[in-house]
Amino acid sequence: MTFDIWDGDDESAAGRFVPLYVLVNGRTAPRDSTLDLATQVVALPVDTRRLEPEYVEIVHRCASWISVAEIGAHLRLPLAITKVMVDVLVEQGYLRVGSPAQQKIIDLHLLDSVLAGLERL
Amino acid sequence: MDRTSVKIVVAGGFGTGKTTLVASVSEIAPLTTEEILTEASIGVDDTTGVEGKATTTVALDFGRITISPDVVVYLFGTPGQDRFWFMWDELSQGAVGAIVLVDTRRLESSFPAVDYFERRGIPFVTAVNRFFGECPYTEPEIRAALELDPAVPLVWCDARDRPSSKLALITLVRHARTRLSVNA
Repeated sequence: MTFDIWDGDDESAAGRFVPLYVLVNGRTAPRDSTLDLATQVVALPVDTRRLEPEYVEIVHRCASWISVAEIGAHLRLPLAITKVMVDVLVEQGYLRVGSPAQQKIIDLHLLDSVLAGLERL
Repeated sequence: MDRTSVKIVVAGGFGTGKTTLVASVSEIAPLTTEEILTEASIGVDDTTGVEGKATTTVALDFGRITISPDVVVYLFGTPGQDRFWFMWDELSQGAVGAIVLVDTRRLESSFPAVDYFERRGIPFVTAVNRFFGECPYTEPEIRAALELDPAVPLVWCDARDRPSSKLALITLVRHARTRLSVNA
């Protein structure tokens, strides 16, 4: 599914009100279904001038690694919308995704490092 | 360098201290994010009548613990209302496991959470919150009331107390690790 974001050509940028379902073009699910609320993303060094302000805000929040849930919380966006918007940004090369959330934890080594980290707290 | 998220679910009945536990160990003040109850409400092309649609939002509280530069633990509290099971599924997907908080004044309020994780084979520990004062029950009484499998760890905790919440987390990860090595 291709998805074109608005190209910035709007006569009344100030005071424009865009409902959330318009921002995500009616999409209800991210293309990448492994995008989880705990998945972390980070901004890539890309020019964001052609993005809508709502998308730019997300990219700015991702200066360092941050989870989908944190983006939603900071920008007060519902999770379903956040996921779709993050997915669009990943698709268009603005964000990079960390390890996708596991379907099942099968990695003893990962659990060991978590355990060691918790014990250090 | 890649970046891995590890999810831990903090569950229990309404008012058992889930957000308190998250707050006591999280490195950030707990954040709240919202999910919309019906997908239909955001997938509408026609704007007519959208304003009138009932969209219930579910609030999720969560915290974060950075383990290392490439591993971060996210602690998600389940929504207080048990009817939002669809959120539990999303939270539990790929999670290490769950801490089920137990309020000794209302043991039965944690039963749905115990049942949920047991049915799905998700590792969990029960943490009896002493927040509310002396516990009138013994461990065997609580185990019997919640029909706990003998293998499920039970810890006593005060969700306000960081070392105590930390112990509950460590017990969970150890338990998940044991189950993993047994099944492997």
